[in-house]
Amino acid sequence: MNRKDVATGAASGGITINLADKYRAVVGLMRRLASLRLTLILFALLACGIVIAYQLSEARTWPVVIPLLLLAANLVAAVATNAVFRRQTALLVFHLSLVALLILVAAGRLTYLTGHVGVTDGAIFDGTLIDAAHGPWHNGNLASVRFISKGFSIDYEPGLHRGPTRNQVAWLGTDGRWRDAEIGDQEALIIEGYRFYTTHNKGFAPVFTWKPDGGPTVQGSVQLPPFPMLQYSQAAEWTPPGATVSIWIMLDIDEVVLDAEDHTRFRLPKNYKLVARIGQERYEMQPGGSVRVGDGVLVFEGLRSWMGYKVFYDWTLPWLFSACALAVASLACHFWQKFSVRRWDE
Amino acid sequence: METELQILWAAVVAYVVGGTLAVVTLVLGKRRERTILGLIACGLGLQTLSIALRWERLGHGPFITMFEILCSNVWSLMLAYLIAYWRIPRIRGSAAVVMPLMFIMLGWLMLAHPGEGHFPPTYTTPWLFIHIGLGKVFLGAVLVAVGLSCVILLRRAGIGVSRFQQLPPDRQLDELAFRCMAIGLIFHTLMLIAGAIWAQDAWGRYWAWDPLETWAFITWLTVAFTLHARVTFRVSPQAHATMILMVFVTAFLTFFGVPFISQAAHQGAI
Repeated sequence: MNRKDVATGAASGGITINLADKYRAVVGLMRRLASLRLTLILFALLACGIVIAYQLSEARTWPVVIPLLLLAANLVAAVATNAVFRRQTALLVFHLSLVALLILVAAGRLTYLTGHVGVTDGAIFDGTLIDAAHGPWHNGNLASVRFISKGFSIDYEPGLHRGPTRNQVAWLGTDGRWRDAEIGDQEALIIEGYRFYTTHNKGFAPVFTWKPDGGPTVQGSVQLPPFPMLQYSQAAEWTPPGATVSIWIMLDIDEVVLDAEDHTRFRLPKNYKLVARIGQERYEMQPGGSVRVGDGVLVFEGLRSWMGYKVFYDWTLPWLFSACALAVASLACHFWQKFSVRRWDE
Repeated sequence: METELQILWAAVVAYVVGGTLAVVTLVLGKRRERTILGLIACGLGLQTLSIALRWERLGHGPFITMFEILCSNVWSLMLAYLIAYWRIPRIRGSAAVVMPLMFIMLGWLMLAHPGEGHFPPTYTTPWLFIHIGLGKVFLGAVLVAVGLSCVILLRRAGIGVSRFQQLPPDRQLDELAFRCMAIGLIFHTLMLIAGAIWAQDAWGRYWAWDPLETWAFITWLTVAFTLHARVTFRVSPQAHATMILMVFVTAFLTFFGVPFISQAAHQGAI
């Protein structure tokens, strides 16, 4: 062996030693990361994250996402370092499904959207929500979603126990065509991944035409508080677009709309008047009636109903379901293999 | 309503006689297993008839009031134990432990008011039956495991050692209890999945950490931890049995406590 060979051998030996050291260090790190004690700590961290998410509306994502991702890393490390997973495929698949679940739930929290909106019958939903919360990476296209509520029916049992809700809607497809559908308690309207669920919130909405002096005419509605939940507070304050004074309106219903003693159905009242208060002046309006408000004229067109919707977006739903199904199937398979070796009554 | 309650009372009498016979024959060292099996089956048949009559009268299943929930759970737990009692003759002695546990639920059922409740529109879905049915299988599997665990713990405490001699050794009971808990884990997981699908349809969210969901998840964790502890740490039969009892207590509080304390929409009528 000459001098050059000795030098090369020493060098390659050094590399081998370095690689072995690094491998051992990585394995050691993975084993520490796979600790069951760490799992318990991470579950406690997740519990804290959930409490924070509920208490602080501005911190609804990361306090949940970080513990979920750490739990996924903990589980991946356990799968990588535990030899039992290499011998038992079903158990391996089950734990990998759990990893997928944790990652998907975290991804869902980063991209979700929830919110509420009330839509007056005949009016087009324009993509604007009353309240909304969404993950920082939400990039859906709610602004382009359009649908119309074409009316709904709700039956009540004696005692005003709410029965099924059936809501007729028309929605605009991506091909530009309007389609009809009926949604209700278990049936959401799904447009571009956004799910619209009917809620128990619904009520009456006076429709107005606002004719500002020298400006374009605008039609809109004012959604009064939910009925029958707040049937004795059917009032709201509203400022017409561009107007300088606000209008307080109240729906004065002169009949029993929903009879608590009998089977009944949600409907618009027949005997009513709309009371409008502008400053110190008080007006009683019927459909077609008008009143001057500052620099314009307000026309009361009539009464319609409105339906409150819960809006939900989470693209991970089908993947979550798939991961869950795989997890249960693999767990069942694992136990089946394990228990079929010996009979139960042996 | 009178007829269905009378039939239910007859079922309760059959269960109580069967359970009492199980205890007495164990104490006296005699075997009346076929009679006990017949009495439990008779009680189950009568209770099925009572539930069917009420279902027919109200137009909905036993899912709403405390009376209905207790009644349907007594039914499902009895059915689960009856199957175990019938199919695994070696564990029949555990009836002397399981049936007194069921007496507590029967007493609670008899004290509950049998009035009617409103069937909410969100319950008009097949997921109601799937979700609740899976939950009942879970509880039934855990009940059988609890019966076996109690025998292990009683033996270790020196109570009824000679009386429980007809049952297999602790190791075998422990293995059977482990199998029941494994079935419980699968059905509890399926129950959570079915519940999430139902919640998404009914309330537009699949999981919201409401009290019942949170406690159901905690129960799932306790079941998973118990199975893990036995496999990974090879805990002793009595330690495993103690953990199973803790799972049962957690599950019982989740199923029968939280729904009646929580004000959340999810009342979890299991």
